[in-house]
Amino acid sequence: AGVLAAHKITASSPDTDLPTVSGLRKMGVNFTLSNKDTVKSSDVLFLAVKPPIIPFILEEVGPDIEPRHIVVSCAAGVTISSIEKKLSTFCPTPKVIRCMTNTPVIVREGATVYATGTHADVEDGKLLEQLMASVGFCTEVEEDLIDAVTGLSGSGPAYAFTALDALADGGVKMGLPRRLAVRLGAQALLGAAKMLLESEQHPGQLKDNVCSPGGATIHALHFLESGGFRSLLINAVEASCIRTRELQHLADQEKISPAAIKKTLLDKVKMESPSLSVASASKVSLFTSKSKKN
Amino acid sequence: RRGCGFGAWPRVAMEASELWVGFVGAGRMAGGLVRGLLQAEKVPASNVLASAPSDKNLDAWRELGCRTTHCNLEVVYRSTLVFLATKPHILPGVLEEIRPAVGSQHIVVSLVAGVTIQTLQRLLPPGTKVLRIMPNLPCVVQAGAMVFSRGSNAGDEEAALLKSLLSSCGLCEEVPESYIDIHTGLSGSGVAYVYLFAEALAEGAVKMGMPGALAGRIAAQTLLGAAKMLLETGEHPAKLRGDVCTPGGTTIYALHQLEKGALRATVMNAVEAATNRACEMAKD
Repeated sequence: AGVLAAHKITASSPDTDLPTVSGLRKMGVNFTLSNKDTVKSSDVLFLAVKPPIIPFILEEVGPDIEPRHIVVSCAAGVTISSIEKKLSTFCPTPKVIRCMTNTPVIVREGATVYATGTHADVEDGKLLEQLMASVGFCTEVEEDLIDAVTGLSGSGPAYAFTALDALADGGVKMGLPRRLAVRLGAQALLGAAKMLLESEQHPGQLKDNVCSPGGATIHALHFLESGGFRSLLINAVEASCIRTRELQHLADQEKISPAAIKKTLLDKVKMESPSLSVASASKVSLFTSKSKKN
Repeated sequence: RRGCGFGAWPRVAMEASELWVGFVGAGRMAGGLVRGLLQAEKVPASNVLASAPSDKNLDAWRELGCRTTHCNLEVVYRSTLVFLATKPHILPGVLEEIRPAVGSQHIVVSLVAGVTIQTLQRLLPPGTKVLRIMPNLPCVVQAGAMVFSRGSNAGDEEAALLKSLLSSCGLCEEVPESYIDIHTGLSGSGVAYVYLFAEALAEGAVKMGMPGALAGRIAAQTLLGAAKMLLETGEHPAKLRGDVCTPGGTTIYALHQLEKGALRATVMNAVEAATNRACEMAKD
């Protein structure tokens, strides 16, 4: 998105064989095996490890956290207070921001929310917002809404992929070649989403606008309603949100003991998606960087 | 029926106040319409003449100040605007009876379910101005929904007159005749769907501990209020629905239940079934 120069980004992972690692290297990101090095050369620290690993990472890098650091956790279900608690043994006022994003950040159409911790200033939140807004939509929320966000836009792309797969099947059934069916289905959803985002109108109204009386679309919609389409989607968002809370609850109770995690995992910290790299930038360079995405 | 005494009546002007309105058939639907007309002072009661085979229905009309008769022909001779409000199976016989008296000054408006304009025009003298209307029950409380279509000889003036008169009974719109069966499915029968929904709402409340009578009144008021907001704000129902749903609140929980029950599809099925049945019956 042109927000950050690659050489200002450092990423660490114990496992150098991952395809994501070579991908990042190709982009010009600095790579190291040492988490501590990453912390030292960063101002904004994205923790992109799996949730059970977070406590161990915090233990490891805690001593190197300085007042300037903004620790951003993208780990599902890991609360701000749990991170602050862990870091407070090393640093009295750690700046923590919790964020929840989704996979389409890869194509700069992500949906990201963040909640600021006790010691994070307004500017810290705004800095994160600037970074994440370059890869999609980003807004601040109260932490207690993050589970709902997970259910909706966190998991949302999966619902969309499932829908697109099925829509393509429908197209194929009615005679379209698969590739074309996929392309058209995806474009239809993309276009609809764009219309909704750019319109003041309620989605119900937009739907009506497509349904000519007695026409093809209203016949199709009747099928969707008969199948309880809407309630299925509501159920899905609810299930994802509830499961997130369950996982968070389990994590809070620190039910996952060190013994439960593979020794190999303890030694190696796995990277998450390539887009959530551990970033570093001096504050000055960030604001003089190239213009953000559109 | 033949030979009832009547004189020749002069041609009358089209202004509503000068209009002589007749009803052949004086049942519930006709009664609802006339109440609306009288309440809105569209027509003086003394200008209204209704016929029915027995006095059973006619007493109520006399109480309103209308004139009554047992003679259908008299209604046609004394009126310019003639409403046909008989039961479907009776209508063909009635039309044959009144046909000789129908002239170019008449405006014949049929309320009879399932009888097409084509049939009406076939059974009446050529050139007769015919319109067909489908009202619904709440016309009796002046909150009806009516659609009408015009036959080949009915022009803008007749349509405008009908619309202006019947707006006193509720919503009145001109439509292509093909919409009339849909209107039956949506609003003619639709009233029953609403009663069912109201009953179910109240039952839910009773289950949760509220007395039935109170629950019934509140259910009805809820429907009335919601409908009023829809009509007065002109907003899309989806938007109004969203406005009621506070995040994580009671309403969204309840709506989820309705969606799980595929209520929307079921309602669509109901409208479709009633419409199809109306089409079928019209063919009979």
